[in-house]
Amino acid sequence: MKKVILSIFAMSLFIVSCSDDNDDVIPTAPLGAYEHGILVSAEGGPSSISFISDDFSTTQNQVYYNVNNEELGVYLQSVGFNDDKAYIVVDNGTITIVNRYTFEKLGTISTGLTTPRFIAFDGNTAYVSDWADPYDTTDDFIAVIDLTSNAVISSIPVSEGPEQVLVNSSKVYVSHKGGYNVNNEVSVINTSDNSLETITVNDVPDEMFIDANGHLLVLNAGANQSWLNPPVETEASITRIDISDNSIISNMEFPFGQHPGLMAYDNGRAYYILDNQVFELTDSATTLPNSPMFSIETSYTYGMSVKGNQLFVTDASFTESSTLLVYDLTSGTLINSFSVGLGASKIYFN
Amino acid sequence: MKDVILLLLLFFYSVAEAQIATDSIQRLDEVVLSDVKLKRHSKGYKVSVLNDSVLQRNGGSFTDLLRFNSIIYFKENGYGMVSSPSFRGTNASQTAVIWNGISINSQLTGQTDFNTVNVTNFSSVVIRSGGGSVQYGSGAIGGSIHLNNSLKFNAHFENTATLSYGSYDSKKASYLSSYANGKFSINLGLQYIDSENDYKYLNSAKRNTNGAYNNASVNVTLGYVLSDTDVLKLYHQSFIGDREFSGTINSPSLAKYKDQNFRTMIEWERHGEKVDSKFKVAHLQEHFKYFGNKNTKNFTFGKVNTYLINYTSDIDLNPFLKLKPIIAYNYYEGSGSSFANPNRTELSTTALLQYKPNNSWQYGLNLRQDITSSFKSPMLMAFDMVFEVSPHYTLKLNGSKNHRVPTFNDLYWQPGGNLNLSPETSYQVDFGQELRLNKSSLKLNTYYIKTNDLIQWVPGNSGFWSPENVAKTQNYGAEVGLDITKTTKDHNFSLQLNYAYTVSEDLETKKQLIYVPYHKANANLAYNYKRLSVFFQHLFNGEVYTTKENLSGRFYSVEAYHVNNFGINYQLFKTHSQHIDMSLKVFNLFNTAYENVAFRPMPDRNFNFQIQYNF
Repeated sequence: MKKVILSIFAMSLFIVSCSDDNDDVIPTAPLGAYEHGILVSAEGGPSSISFISDDFSTTQNQVYYNVNNEELGVYLQSVGFNDDKAYIVVDNGTITIVNRYTFEKLGTISTGLTTPRFIAFDGNTAYVSDWADPYDTTDDFIAVIDLTSNAVISSIPVSEGPEQVLVNSSKVYVSHKGGYNVNNEVSVINTSDNSLETITVNDVPDEMFIDANGHLLVLNAGANQSWLNPPVETEASITRIDISDNSIISNMEFPFGQHPGLMAYDNGRAYYILDNQVFELTDSATTLPNSPMFSIETSYTYGMSVKGNQLFVTDASFTESSTLLVYDLTSGTLINSFSVGLGASKIYFN
Repeated sequence: MKDVILLLLLFFYSVAEAQIATDSIQRLDEVVLSDVKLKRHSKGYKVSVLNDSVLQRNGGSFTDLLRFNSIIYFKENGYGMVSSPSFRGTNASQTAVIWNGISINSQLTGQTDFNTVNVTNFSSVVIRSGGGSVQYGSGAIGGSIHLNNSLKFNAHFENTATLSYGSYDSKKASYLSSYANGKFSINLGLQYIDSENDYKYLNSAKRNTNGAYNNASVNVTLGYVLSDTDVLKLYHQSFIGDREFSGTINSPSLAKYKDQNFRTMIEWERHGEKVDSKFKVAHLQEHFKYFGNKNTKNFTFGKVNTYLINYTSDIDLNPFLKLKPIIAYNYYEGSGSSFANPNRTELSTTALLQYKPNNSWQYGLNLRQDITSSFKSPMLMAFDMVFEVSPHYTLKLNGSKNHRVPTFNDLYWQPGGNLNLSPETSYQVDFGQELRLNKSSLKLNTYYIKTNDLIQWVPGNSGFWSPENVAKTQNYGAEVGLDITKTTKDHNFSLQLNYAYTVSEDLETKKQLIYVPYHKANANLAYNYKRLSVFFQHLFNGEVYTTKENLSGRFYSVEAYHVNNFGINYQLFKTHSQHIDMSLKVFNLFNTAYENVAFRPMPDRNFNFQIQYNF
C-alpha cells in the first residue's frame, strides 16, 4: 500500500514537473471528489453507493445521499457509465442520472421502465433490460433510451428474465438469467433495426464479456431448483461464442452439482468464484481449470470485479454493513477490506 | 381427524353428564367472559385493560391504540401499512394476538399485522405482559394482546352510529348494536373505513402517493341460553381490506395488498355446581393477495384455513383449588404461490392449576405439551404467584417457558423453506409490584427473557435464503405504569402514564436488536366537565437502530420523536336514552416530521371530525 501511495506521489511530481517544462500541457483539474476510485453499489435497503479512492486512502459511504440529500430507492440493481455520467438502475423502475465524478443528480428516467436490471450504451442510445412484471413470463423487454431526451423511445420484447446487457459493434447481447424462473438464451439485438436473434446456452446465463479475441464469453450458472418436486438441476457452463455467426466455439461444462455465481474479466483472463474458490480461465482454454488460484474468506459473495492485479469481492450482509475485500491476484493474499453499504453487490472503477 | 373429534365429543359428554347443576342461572354473569384463562389464570401477570371509551377515543387503528396507550413499540411501514409489534423487545412473531381466547397470528408469517384489525367493534382490548405460551400457544413470548367480545343477557337494546370525516379524505362509518332479552343476546359491529392517506411528507415536496386504503369489518356475537345449564354462543369476525403499499420517500411504489380474514367460533358452555365446561369449534381463514404492480392482474397469494376443536372445563376441586384442563386439536391447511398445499396438525394438552390458600396468597401452575406433525414441540410450563401485602400493595411474580413455532413460510417457502427447524424456545421471569390508592394505581415491572433457537433467514450456499435456528437473544427491562383518576361532583380527570426501558440484545454480539427502542413513553390526559370532554396524548419513541451495528445516522438508525394528539368532544343533545356526541381530533398536533421505519415518513398534522348518535 505504501508503495502505491509513493508511486502516485512520484507520478504527480512527474506531471507537475512536466507541465513546468512545457507550457502546452495544461494540468487536468480534478473532475470531482469521486474520480479515481472504486464505487460499490449496495442494494439496501436503503440503497447506497460507497466510494474508495484508488490509493485506498479515503473512503466514503452513502455518496449519493451525501451529495443530493435523498435516497436512491429500493433496490439498487446496477450502475452503468457513459462519458461523464453514471446511470443508477433501481429496480422499482427508476434510473437516476448523476455526474459520475461529483455524484450530483442530473435527472431521472422512470417512464417506460418497470423492473429495470442493467444498462449498456451505444453512442447516444442506452439499452436497459427490464423484467416488467416479474410474475409475468411474457412481458419482458429491452427499453431503448435516447440519451439526449432521457426518454424511453421504444421497447423490444424479449424472452423471460433479461439480465446483463452488453453492447459490441452494433449488437446488443442480453443474457436471460430467467428472472424468477429459469431461461437459457442469449438474445442478440441488431441496433440498426432492433431485429432479434437468439443463442441457446446452458441454463441461467448471467455475466458476459468480450474476450481479447473478440469472442463472447458467457457464464451460465445452471438451474438449481431443489425446492421443486421433482427438483430441477442442470449443469453450469462457461460458453465461448463466435459473434460473427453466433456459433458456439466451446461450452465448458461444470460437473453436475456445481453452480458458479460470479465471473469477472480483465486483460485476457476470466475469473470466476465457485464455493469461495477463485479460478482463472485463459482466452485460449477449452476446458475448465482443475485447481483454484486461492480461496477467499466471505460468507456471502455477492459481487466481483478484477482490475490489474487485484480482485475485489463484496461480502454482503443485509442486516448490517457489508464488506469489500481486496485480494492480490498473484499471491491470493487479502490486501485490504472496507466497510460498505447494506447488501453491497456490484463493484465499478471510476 | 375424525377420530379426534369423536374422542373429544365422548370426553365432553362424559364430563358434562356428571355435572348437571341447579344454581346455574346465578352463574350466567360468568357468561360474559369470552376468555376465562385471562380472568382466572393470569393472576401473577401484569394485565392492562383498555375499555370501550379508550377504544372510541383512538381512531380505530389497532396500531394507534397501542402506540399511544401501551408500552408496545410498533414498526409501521408508513401510516396504515404493515405494522408489526415489539413487546418487551421481542420480535413481531413473538407477540400473540388472541381473539376471544384463540390465537389469530398468521400461520404464514407468525405475526399479526396490526393494521388489519379494527378495534372499535370489540368490547375490550386486554394487554397481558409476559410469557403465555402454555395458555395461548405459539408466539406469546413478549406478551399477548386480547380482543374480547362480551355478551350481556339482561334485557337491553343499545345502538351507536358513528360517522367521521378527516384529512386525506378519510371516511369512516360504523354501527354498533347490542340487544338481549334474557335468553338471547346479540352484539353486532359494522365498520367501513376509506382513506386516500396521501399525506404530505414534511420537509419535502413529496406526498404519500401510493398509500390509499379501505377496509370493512363485521363482528357478530350471539348467545342463546339453551337451558338452566347450557349456553350456546357464536363469535364471528370478518375483515376485508384493500391497501396500496406506499414506497420510501424517493421510491414510490405501485404495490397493492388485499387481506381477507374470516373467523368463526361456536362455543357450547355447560355450567355445573363445581364444574363448568366449554366445547369450542372454530374456523379461521386468512387470505392475502399481493400485487407487485396494482395496474396488472398478476398477484401472489397465501391462504391458510385453520380448524380448531377445543374442550376445556373449569373445575373447583375444593374451595382453594381450581383446575382447568384443556385439550385442543388444530388442523392447518395452506396454499399459496410460494408453496404447494402443505398442512399441519397439532394436538395440545394443557392443565392450569390455581391455588388460593387464603386471601393474601395465590399460586398458579400451568403445563402444556403439544404434539405437532411437522416438528417436535417442547414441554411448556409456567408458574405465577400473587402476594397481597396489604389492600394497597400487591406483589406478583411469574416465570415461564414459552415457544414460537416455525411458520408455514419458514417451513415450506420455495425456495428456502426448512423442514428441519425447531420451535424457538424462551425462558422468562417477571416481577411486578402494584400500588393502589383510591382510584389510582402504580405498576412497576421488571423482567428477563432469554430466547434460544431464534429463527432467522440467512443466505445459504445454494444461492437462496433459508431459515435456520441461529440466534440467541436476551431481553430485560423495566416498566412503569401510572393511572390516576380523580372525580369530583362535575369534574372527571384521568391520567395514564407508561414508560418502558428495554434492552434486547443478541447474546453473541451484545448489540441491541434492530427496531427496538431503549425508551418508550406515553401519556394520556383526559378531562370531563358536564357535556364537554377533552383529551391530550403524548408519545415519545426513542431512537431505534436499523442495522445490527448500533450506529446512529440516517442509514443506521431512525431518530427519536415526540408526537401529540388532541381531541375535544361535546354532547350536543342528551336524554335518558339518547345522546349525540360531536368530536374533533387533531393528530400530530405540532406537525412533527417523524418516521417509524427509515425513509418512510409518517403523516403531518391532520384532523378528524366525528358525529356519534347513541340510542
